[in-house]
Amino acid sequence: MSSTFAAAAANGASTDIGAVANSPILWVFALGVFAVIFVQTLIYMKAARTAGSTVGLERKDLNRALRSGAISSIGPSLAVVLVAIALLALFGTPAVLVRIGLIGSVQTEVASATIASAALGADLGGPDYTQQVFAVALIAMSLSGGAWMLATLILTPLMKRGGNKLSEVNPAVMALIPGAALLGAFSTLVVSELPKSALGALTILVSTIVMAALLLLAKKLNAGWLKEWALGIAISVALVFAYFAHTATTA
Amino acid sequence: MTTSTITRPAGLHEFERTTSRWGRITMVAGLLLSLAGPLYIALFMDLGITLAHVITAYLAVATTFLVFAIVEPITYFPILGPAAMYQAFMIGNIANKLLPAAICAQGRIDAKPGTKQGDLAAVMGICGAAIVHLTSLLVFVGILGTWLLSAIPESVTEVARLYILPSIVGAVLVQAIASVKQLRPTLISLAVAVVVVFVVVPAVPALTYFGTALGVVATAVISWFARPRG
Repeated sequence: MSSTFAAAAANGASTDIGAVANSPILWVFALGVFAVIFVQTLIYMKAARTAGSTVGLERKDLNRALRSGAISSIGPSLAVVLVAIALLALFGTPAVLVRIGLIGSVQTEVASATIASAALGADLGGPDYTQQVFAVALIAMSLSGGAWMLATLILTPLMKRGGNKLSEVNPAVMALIPGAALLGAFSTLVVSELPKSALGALTILVSTIVMAALLLLAKKLNAGWLKEWALGIAISVALVFAYFAHTATTA
Repeated sequence: MTTSTITRPAGLHEFERTTSRWGRITMVAGLLLSLAGPLYIALFMDLGITLAHVITAYLAVATTFLVFAIVEPITYFPILGPAAMYQAFMIGNIANKLLPAAICAQGRIDAKPGTKQGDLAAVMGICGAAIVHLTSLLVFVGILGTWLLSAIPESVTEVARLYILPSIVGAVLVQAIASVKQLRPTLISLAVAVVVVFVVVPAVPALTYFGTALGVVATAVISWFARPRG
């Protein structure tokens, strides 16, 4: 194994992507990113627990919030996992974990890799997708993803200062803007998905109706746990619908 | 109003200090680690990579995404608040996973977005999402990935790839509406979205990548001017 690895690694023109993409050194750095996020999560949880009581949130409330976030992300996480698995052959496990599972998203990272390969005159996954092209694409993806983090590092303190100033001048602004911004973001995301495909639009409709029904039911039955599971159920129902509709129309 | 944004309890001050200091430190560490792997390959693996290759490829990608990298943090800041920014842009998958988790956490304990309770609920929700996500990635992609690749039919992964976003955003919009509980901004946001997607972007294709940002800014500004005044 190690001898083929060394032989393959020395040849940038080889199309054996796995030999480079799954190299131990990439694994080490990928697990490093996992470790950093894990540490960050622990620090944030502790900080929120300490601060909770000062704004009237009991430990019970914070644990509920934690559990809700965890349960509601099961569906989206598994969806990301499915897509990530499909991309293992193109990028190898460590790069898929870091670039698609974390930091970026499927859409941007695959687009970045496609663009970067094209700039070198190669097709992503095509016969000219060599170890060299993979490595350059990975660097381009990483630099591009790094720009998001750099922008976050630079802009967050600036915007925080702006927000604090705004809330001092006019507290009503801060009571209105976050909610409006949230609605604006998801309304636009929903509406921009609509014209892409008829089945996509129907899938949105299914997920919308299931969620509305579940939230009404949760309110009627006063069932908080149902609010936690609602997103996972809505996504599953919508994906199952999309699967059968998609296979029925393409078969 | 359940919150006062002017008087800041000492405990909250401490929370902001901790999260902005450690948020920044961990994000810098994550940034460096994510660049270190590719850099090692380029420098030490003898693949014949030149600086010209890297510049050519990165410039092509940056032309498409650099502006987006700046616009997206600005777009999500009012929703996430400063603390969660450092989580969101390192964990990734914000619109399809972290925001839904944050909204769900807020809805569960009836804390509105933008309030101090809402901020803490969002941070806890994102922590919960991070734990689930890190675990499922490690187990299902890191350990079992290669085996699952051969076990899962291609039609399943293809449907997941094509319809993942549609199956999530509809439900999350409903959740957001239920959590914000304000009829006027809700109607304004839907009208704005229709105008942005079907009028503004087709008329000015250069704005394609700014759809969400436009929706956020326009909804916030119009909601502010159209607010009920007493």
